[in-house]
Amino acid sequence: MTDTASALPEGASERLELGGGSIHVQRGGEGPPLLFLHAAGGAGAWYPFLGLLARRFEVIAPDHPGFGGSDDLPEVEAIDDLVYHYLEVLDRLGLDRVSMVGGSLGGWLAAELAVHSPERVERLVLLGAAGIRVPGNMATDIFLMTPDQVVGVLFKHPEAAAGMFPEEPDVDFILATIRDQAGLARYGWAPYLNNPKLERRLHRVAAPTLVLWADDDRVVPIEHGRIYAERIPDATLQIVEDCGHAMYFERPEAFAAAVTEFLEAGS
Amino acid sequence: MKFVFFHLMPYPYLPDDFDERYASPSLDFPNKHFDPKLGNKLYHRYLDELEYAEKLGFDGIAVNEHHQTAYGLMPSPNIMAAALARRTSRAKVMVLGNAIGIRDHPLRVAEEIAMLDHITDGRVVSGFVRGIGWEYYAHSINPTRSRARFNEAHDLIIKAWTSDEVFEWVSPNYEFRYVNVWPRPLQDPHPPIYIPGAGSTETMRFCAEKRYTYMSVYAPTPVVKRWFDGYRQAANDLGYEPDPEKLGLSIPVYVAETDEQAHAEGRQHIEWLYHKGLKQGLERVMPPGYTSLSSLRGMLSGRGKAPNEYTYEEIIDNGMAVVGSPDTVGERFEALMEELGFGQIIALMGVGDMPHYRTVKSMELFATQVMPALRRRAGEAREIATA
Repeated sequence: MTDTASALPEGASERLELGGGSIHVQRGGEGPPLLFLHAAGGAGAWYPFLGLLARRFEVIAPDHPGFGGSDDLPEVEAIDDLVYHYLEVLDRLGLDRVSMVGGSLGGWLAAELAVHSPERVERLVLLGAAGIRVPGNMATDIFLMTPDQVVGVLFKHPEAAAGMFPEEPDVDFILATIRDQAGLARYGWAPYLNNPKLERRLHRVAAPTLVLWADDDRVVPIEHGRIYAERIPDATLQIVEDCGHAMYFERPEAFAAAVTEFLEAGS
Repeated sequence: MKFVFFHLMPYPYLPDDFDERYASPSLDFPNKHFDPKLGNKLYHRYLDELEYAEKLGFDGIAVNEHHQTAYGLMPSPNIMAAALARRTSRAKVMVLGNAIGIRDHPLRVAEEIAMLDHITDGRVVSGFVRGIGWEYYAHSINPTRSRARFNEAHDLIIKAWTSDEVFEWVSPNYEFRYVNVWPRPLQDPHPPIYIPGAGSTETMRFCAEKRYTYMSVYAPTPVVKRWFDGYRQAANDLGYEPDPEKLGLSIPVYVAETDEQAHAEGRQHIEWLYHKGLKQGLERVMPPGYTSLSSLRGMLSGRGKAPNEYTYEEIIDNGMAVVGSPDTVGERFEALMEELGFGQIIALMGVGDMPHYRTVKSMELFATQVMPALRRRAGEAREIATA
């Protein structure tokens, strides 16, 4: 790759009417299709990580219902509803079988999809994925933190977050953030960011899987990654150094490179 | 004019490093700081104060529900109401209220309130609250469902009290195949309902429609005025003028012999309530989804301060507590009645870390010197209004 200095592909927005409303979908790049399932933060934005992936793939990045530019869909109230929602999204986008990349909440969702419909997943990448219940080593409660504490726990180097958030957020920005948090709460308040039944179902995942974790993930402990890697039949755990849970915001190049390499190994 | 003596039953013995060390007295302030010997005495002291309030002529004595907190020691307000039921005979025994939003089994509330109605010979008042944000953490109840759970639980309880046939209840958050509450309440059709409001227009309309009593929570007078005006507007929209007694002002009160003495004695206890008891960040009080985005937009645009950001002087100036001599307190309430149009004062008099002797002194001065004057005045105002 010698084109690191060139501009990254842009994402374009579209809307998809389905169920009780419509959702916002971003799409950019060329290549094999890649469904990106976002984490609790960042919905609706086309950030550098997506641009980096879009150099080699057609990245399709919907906002989950209740997040970013997507409506609150009344029929989507829990993680299982979200799975059925995305099965419909895949149908509507004509994606019979696609590689999926999911971060944190989106990683949990990707694992649920791969358990529910293994035949529809080409290759699977779980980035610091929530979803597993580990008594004694649960995901950190970010709801109870102040905004500063959240940044402190998400990033290994919180100064890397500077510029990602406005210094003096206006009411609209605050409300958008709270709406995304409410989206996360809807799917993950209790059980907290997990489905107690997911672990015992992971043997169903058929796709080659990369479980990718940041070495300093203080939100979803790396133990969760080990369980994913153990239970999914064809899975590898890979760790990226010097990074926190907000991995593809903190070190987008490193994560995009690892994801790209893994996905291209299958083609 | 009605006077209610309301207790929070705080646990006042906080460690010296509380301010630096703990984000809040609620949710995760460890219970190793609860000394059972001291706590045991507190329950008896606080129940004594509630019983004494009846003797002093208060119309109602009130308790409420909080969990995992030094702010208030009543995870089960119905137990406190039961302890008061047969030790009193005249005052309303008011549960303000049961946090039905966090109950998995709202029928238990229907049953207990119905029992209390009998044990009090029809003196029980049933408040319903959603439960404060931190209680959604404590009970692992999804705050995004709080409003729906509250509404469904309310409808279920009312139907359980008023239906004389066994019925099936199926709603998004609750399913009961056989609802058949024994005993039925004594009051017909059911005990009076009180609902606290904190600015939600949905709540104002809900209370006005059902003709429930709408009570404020601790807030600056102009804010409470917006809430009470909203309730009156909702009632007017429905074509009626609400009785002022359907509006209850909740407020901490301290009365002493003189203004100077009242401030000198009361200050630290008022400060305890606001600066320690109500020390709680937004993430604790309003977890995501607990408050609708439209209500939040109103709150954020108003940019109100958190309770623990008010100085003592601001608390007094903003009408978030009434402190003074009997004359001053009487005048202050007259002015507040004029401005806000309430007919019920829900007075918090065992404020924060106030010792028993001060609580009792303040109660006695309030009951003997403030209440009679305010009753007279409210009666005169009513006569003028009906003349």
